[in-house]
Amino acid sequence: MYQYDAIDQQLVEERVAQFRDQTRRYLNQELSEQEFLPLRLQNGLYVQRYAPMLRIAIPYGMLSSAQLRKLADISCRYDRSYGHFSTRQNLQLNWPKIEDVPDILAELAEVQMHAVQTSGNCIRNTTTDQYAGVISDEIVDPRPYCELIRQWSTFHPEFAFLPRKFKIAVNATESADRAATQVHDIGLHIKKNEAGEIGFKVIVGGGLGRTPMVGVTISEFIPRVDLLTYLDAIIRVYNQQGRRDNKYKARIKILVKALGIEEFRSRVEAEWQHLKGKESTVPMSEFERLQGFFSEPNYDTLENQPASLTSKLADSAGFARWFERNTFEHKKSGYRIVTLTLKKAGQAPGDATAEQMHKAADLADKFSFGELRVSHEQNLVLADVRQEQLVDLWEAAKEAGFATPTLGLLTDMICCPGGDFCALANAKSIPIAAQIQETFNDLDYLYDLGNIDLNISGCMNACGHHHVGNIGILGVDKKGEEFYQISIGGASGHDASIGKILGPSFAQEEISGVIQKLMNVYVANRSEEERFIDTYRRVGITPFKEAAYAKAN
Amino acid sequence: MPKLIKNGEIIDNTYNWLQDAEQAVTPDSIVAAQKWLSEKDSIGKVAGIWLEAGDGVEFLNDIDLSQFEVIGVNFPAFTDGRGFSYARLLRERLNYQGEIRALGNFIPDQLGYLLRVGFNSFQFNEEVDLEKALALHKPFSIAYQGDVSDPRPLFLRR
Repeated sequence: MYQYDAIDQQLVEERVAQFRDQTRRYLNQELSEQEFLPLRLQNGLYVQRYAPMLRIAIPYGMLSSAQLRKLADISCRYDRSYGHFSTRQNLQLNWPKIEDVPDILAELAEVQMHAVQTSGNCIRNTTTDQYAGVISDEIVDPRPYCELIRQWSTFHPEFAFLPRKFKIAVNATESADRAATQVHDIGLHIKKNEAGEIGFKVIVGGGLGRTPMVGVTISEFIPRVDLLTYLDAIIRVYNQQGRRDNKYKARIKILVKALGIEEFRSRVEAEWQHLKGKESTVPMSEFERLQGFFSEPNYDTLENQPASLTSKLADSAGFARWFERNTFEHKKSGYRIVTLTLKKAGQAPGDATAEQMHKAADLADKFSFGELRVSHEQNLVLADVRQEQLVDLWEAAKEAGFATPTLGLLTDMICCPGGDFCALANAKSIPIAAQIQETFNDLDYLYDLGNIDLNISGCMNACGHHHVGNIGILGVDKKGEEFYQISIGGASGHDASIGKILGPSFAQEEISGVIQKLMNVYVANRSEEERFIDTYRRVGITPFKEAAYAKAN
Repeated sequence: MPKLIKNGEIIDNTYNWLQDAEQAVTPDSIVAAQKWLSEKDSIGKVAGIWLEAGDGVEFLNDIDLSQFEVIGVNFPAFTDGRGFSYARLLRERLNYQGEIRALGNFIPDQLGYLLRVGFNSFQFNEEVDLEKALALHKPFSIAYQGDVSDPRPLFLRR
């Protein structure tokens, strides 16, 4: 993974000093609440319902075991000994004290981490596929490009006060889109042109929130050397022309929609003509330098399906289940990608205790070259596990609560912190997740239902990505009471779509009953091997709606 | 005389920022750019013009900007970042060499970014302590991106 040099290190240290001074001036009342707000947000610090929340950047989800141990230590000494992994592959601490934050940042800097631009109306942490670099059908490893974007976007002097937040995600394979790129302000799809040159299909204007939209293609191919000048051109147009009068209409998607993609594209092209070929054009030497940080670890030459694996698969239904659901094919024979799920019943989705973080770091050291990734579905990934060690890893993961074999199934939910923590939320989301986990606890049934994305957000800001869940649950406020609107048919992959609302919202205690009815409609209507989303697309919303609102008689 | 920060020093403000279109124009005035444009034949000599957020800079394409000692950029709110692009375009696209002055509701903590996009003078609103603001002049000694002072990104300098 990327390693800081003296310059990167100096920058994060100067940032710590800057934020220490800003915090000091705020606590001395030299900076007003209003002035401190965007400054602290650009450093990931929110003031939430009960306490501040600090969002720590995990660039494109890559973590070393040493960094994860540091996060665990910080959560013990400055917080309540746990953290929450978010859909932007970041980590949130829910109970730090404002006056401690500069010290936390200083400790993060010791392990090449920071909280830069994890919030605020600026360019946020760039995300990508959690399987980057280890799958066989990848065009190229997206991580060097993510790092390029990270450096370009960090303290970008022109784009720190955009109309609204700005999120970029990168995908590098045609077989899947695990980074939900089409619902980002900019989605980048790495591709090669006919000459074999690497570049990007650029998608713009996707996003969730109050007006969810799937992005549209602004360019079929931007050569990689031109990536930064093209991004500068898009964001410069947005910075000047995006709406600033209404925060719900300020995302780039609204500008793109209002102008139409042709007009938006021509404005970007006009701007780009001035920038293309200038100093921000990326030289090959920089691509090579960055690629050097993501070279392959020292893989051994191994056979697929070693005897220890095949015999355990035959002997243990539990292991076979876990292998089927929670591991994924690796590009190297004899290796496997393993997801450590953070979706254990009784624990909020995406939460990990300090003890679990230490345990995951140990597992990374023992089984996967000391590195981990955070996935957008709020799980942890060990990317390079020897197949002959899978049984050992499974035993250890079970003990630590990481082996719930439900990856991709109904109970592998994305869930925001919701009204239990967040000041913006209309309703709680964690109890909904808990209710669903409790109701749908029969593994055979879950396996029979197959792949279903269920996403929960506590408000319209859509941190839980409810719009792109096959089933989406949104907390709403109805005269001071918490209700939940259910939508179906959303998807976040290459077939991205925004879900449709079923109808009137439901009371909290009704939710798992409604989900059960939706599942019954699916099971009754599906053809063999058909996923929930495909059945929905074939039969439409009506049968689901009728079942959900049918009178009890 | 009111003070401001220019080129890293606290100095007297010798120009007069005309926010009110009805105020009389004098040779030391910084006049709203739109007003200047529509009245330029009759308005006489001015120190410079100022841009309102939303103006953009394209309408200045055919104007000889070297006639202005100063071009101001107003920040209606410090969170309104349009002025960052305007200053950069004035320097890099329109090749304006004179003083670019930040006006309005920007705050001292933005000085680092403002300098990098081409501002070199800062006329703060009201109670800002300029000595303290000056201390925030340059929070970072290096940068990843190119900017107005050096167009080369770090990857060309590393």
